[in-house]
Amino acid sequence: MIGLRRALVALGVLAFLLGLGSAALVTTSDHASPRGLLLAVVLIAGWSFAFTGLYAWGRRPGNNIGPLMTAVGFTWFFQAFSTANNPWLFALGFLGQTLPFAILVHLLVSFPSGRLQTRLQKVAVGLAYLATGPLQIVWALFIDPSQQSDCGGCPENPILIDGAEGISEIVNVFQVLGGVTAIAIAIGLLYRNWRRSTETERRVLTPVLATGGLAFSILLVQLTVGELGASNTFQSVTFVASITVFSCLPFAFLFGLLRSRIGRAEEVTTALSAENEQLTAELEAKVEELRASRHRIVEAGYAERRRVERDLHDGAQQRLMALTMTLRLAREKMDADPAASAELLDEAMEELSAATAELREFARGIHPVVLSDRGLGAALDGLAERSPVPVEIAAAPAERLPTPVESAAYFVVAESLTNVARYADAELATVRVERRNGSLEVEISDDGSGGADPDAGSGLRGLADRVAALDGSFTVRSEAGEGTTVEARIPCA
Amino acid sequence: MPTSVLIVDDHPGFRASARRMLEASGYAVVGEAADGAAAIAAVGELGPDLVLLDVQLPDLDGFEVAARLRALGTDAEIVLTSSRERCDFGSAIDESPARGFIAKSDLSGPALAELVG
Repeated sequence: MIGLRRALVALGVLAFLLGLGSAALVTTSDHASPRGLLLAVVLIAGWSFAFTGLYAWGRRPGNNIGPLMTAVGFTWFFQAFSTANNPWLFALGFLGQTLPFAILVHLLVSFPSGRLQTRLQKVAVGLAYLATGPLQIVWALFIDPSQQSDCGGCPENPILIDGAEGISEIVNVFQVLGGVTAIAIAIGLLYRNWRRSTETERRVLTPVLATGGLAFSILLVQLTVGELGASNTFQSVTFVASITVFSCLPFAFLFGLLRSRIGRAEEVTTALSAENEQLTAELEAKVEELRASRHRIVEAGYAERRRVERDLHDGAQQRLMALTMTLRLAREKMDADPAASAELLDEAMEELSAATAELREFARGIHPVVLSDRGLGAALDGLAERSPVPVEIAAAPAERLPTPVESAAYFVVAESLTNVARYADAELATVRVERRNGSLEVEISDDGSGGADPDAGSGLRGLADRVAALDGSFTVRSEAGEGTTVEARIPCA
Repeated sequence: MPTSVLIVDDHPGFRASARRMLEASGYAVVGEAADGAAAIAAVGELGPDLVLLDVQLPDLDGFEVAARLRALGTDAEIVLTSSRERCDFGSAIDESPARGFIAKSDLSGPALAELVG
C-alpha cells in the first residue's frame, strides 16, 4: 500500500513536470495556434485527468478507472508535443495525440467498474485503439505535415516513408471509420448504462456519462462532417469544443463522486429517520396495546369479583339460607313431632354436604390447590377427570414451572375445556402442554363444530390478556366444521 | 282462613324451604314465581294476601316488581327478602311500596306475622 502511494506520488510529480515541459513546448512553438487556448486545454485537461486519476487510483487500487484516467492525462500531453519545433518531439506528438481519445472510450464504456464485460464494449474499445494506435502509426509514416495547409511552420516528419497523399488518405479513411464506429457504439453503451442504473448509481453516473456522451457526440460530428469537407474554421471550432468538454470530464467525475457521497449521507439520514419513525410508531402501538390490555385486566379483575360475589350469592349462600330455614323448622318441630324433626335434620345434613362441595368447587375456580401443591400435570389430570367431554392429555410437563406460568397455562386449559363442554358439541378434546424453545406451549383442540369467535366472549380475551401479561402469545383457530384449537405460548426460560 | 302467600325467588331450593317453613307456620302457599314478570302475572291470577318477594331477580328487581304491583292496584301485602342485609340496599326499602324487609337468614313464620300483623 505504501509502495503504491509512493509510486502515485512519483507519477504525480512526473505529471506536473510533464505539464511544465508541455507548456514550454506550446509557448515556444512556431506553429501552435491558437497558442493560449491550446496551452490552457493541454494543462487543464492533462493535469486534471492525471491528478484526478491518481487520486481515484489511490482510493480504489483494484478499480481500473484511476489508472485509465491517469493514462488519459499523461497521453494528453502528446497534444503539446505536436506543437514542438523539434522534429522528433513533433513526430512523437502526432503519433500519440489521438491515443487519449481511445483511452477515453475505454474509460467511459467501462465506467464505473473499469472492466470491459460485454462483447460490444470490447469491440468499441478495440476499434478505438486500432484507429488511434496501429493505424495512427501507419498514417504517421505516410504523412508530411509540413506540406499540409493547416500546419504552417510545422517541422518535417523525421519518420516519413512516403509523402504521397494516397496512402495516408486511405489509412485516414479507415481511422475515421473505426473512430466513428467506436464512438457511435460508445454513445449507445453510455445511454444503455445510464438507463439500466438505479437512482443511487445515477448520482455518480449522470455527470460523467452526460459529459462523456456530449464530448463523443461533438467528436462524432467533427470526424464525419470534417471528412465530408467542412471548413477549417468548423473543424477548429468542433475540435476545441470537444477538447473543452473532455477537459471537463475529470471534474464531472469528481462531481459525481461528491454527489454520491452527499446522496449516501442523505440516504443514511433518511433511512435513520424512517427507522426512527417506524420504531416510534411501533412503540406507540405497543404502549396503546399495553394501555388497552391493562384496562382490560383491571376490568377483568372487577368482573371476576362480581362473578365471585354472584356465584357465592347464587350458590352456597342460597343453600345456607335454605339450610337455616330447615334447621329452624326442625327445632320448632323437635318437641311436637320428633320424627319430622329428624327427617328435616337429615335433609339439612344433605344440604350442608352439597353446600360444602359447592364451596370446594368454587374455591378451586379461584385457585386450584392441586396446582400449587402438585403442579400442572396433576392439575390438568383433575380438569380432564371433571370435564363432561372426554379429554386426552397428550403431553404435560412433569417438572414444576414458575407459578405465574403454571397458573396461566392451567386457566387457559380450564377455560378452553369449559368452552368445549358448553359450545363445541365435541366427542373428544386433546390437551398438549410442552416445554419447547424457552416457552411453554399449550394447545387444546377438539373435534367439535368449530366456528367460535375469539372476540365474542370475554373469557377468551381475558385469557389472551393473562398470557400477554407474561409476554406470551395466544391464538384461536376455529373454522366452521373443523373443530377449535386454542394455542398459547408462554415464555418460560 | 289462612293467609295466602305467593313466593317469588329465582332459586328453587329457597322456594322449597320457604314453602315448607311458611306452611308449617300456618300460611297457605298458593303459588311460586321465579322472576318478576311471572310474579306480576301470578298476583293477577291468584290474588294472594301476601307476596314474599326476593330483591334480586333475573329480570326486574324486587323494588320494581313491588312498584308495578302497586301501580296495577293490587292490595296484597308485599314483603321483600334477600340473602343480603337490609343495610345493603340503603333507603330503597323504605322508599318502596313494600310493607317491609326480612333477611333470608331471619325468615320465619313468627317474623313474617310480626311484620304483617
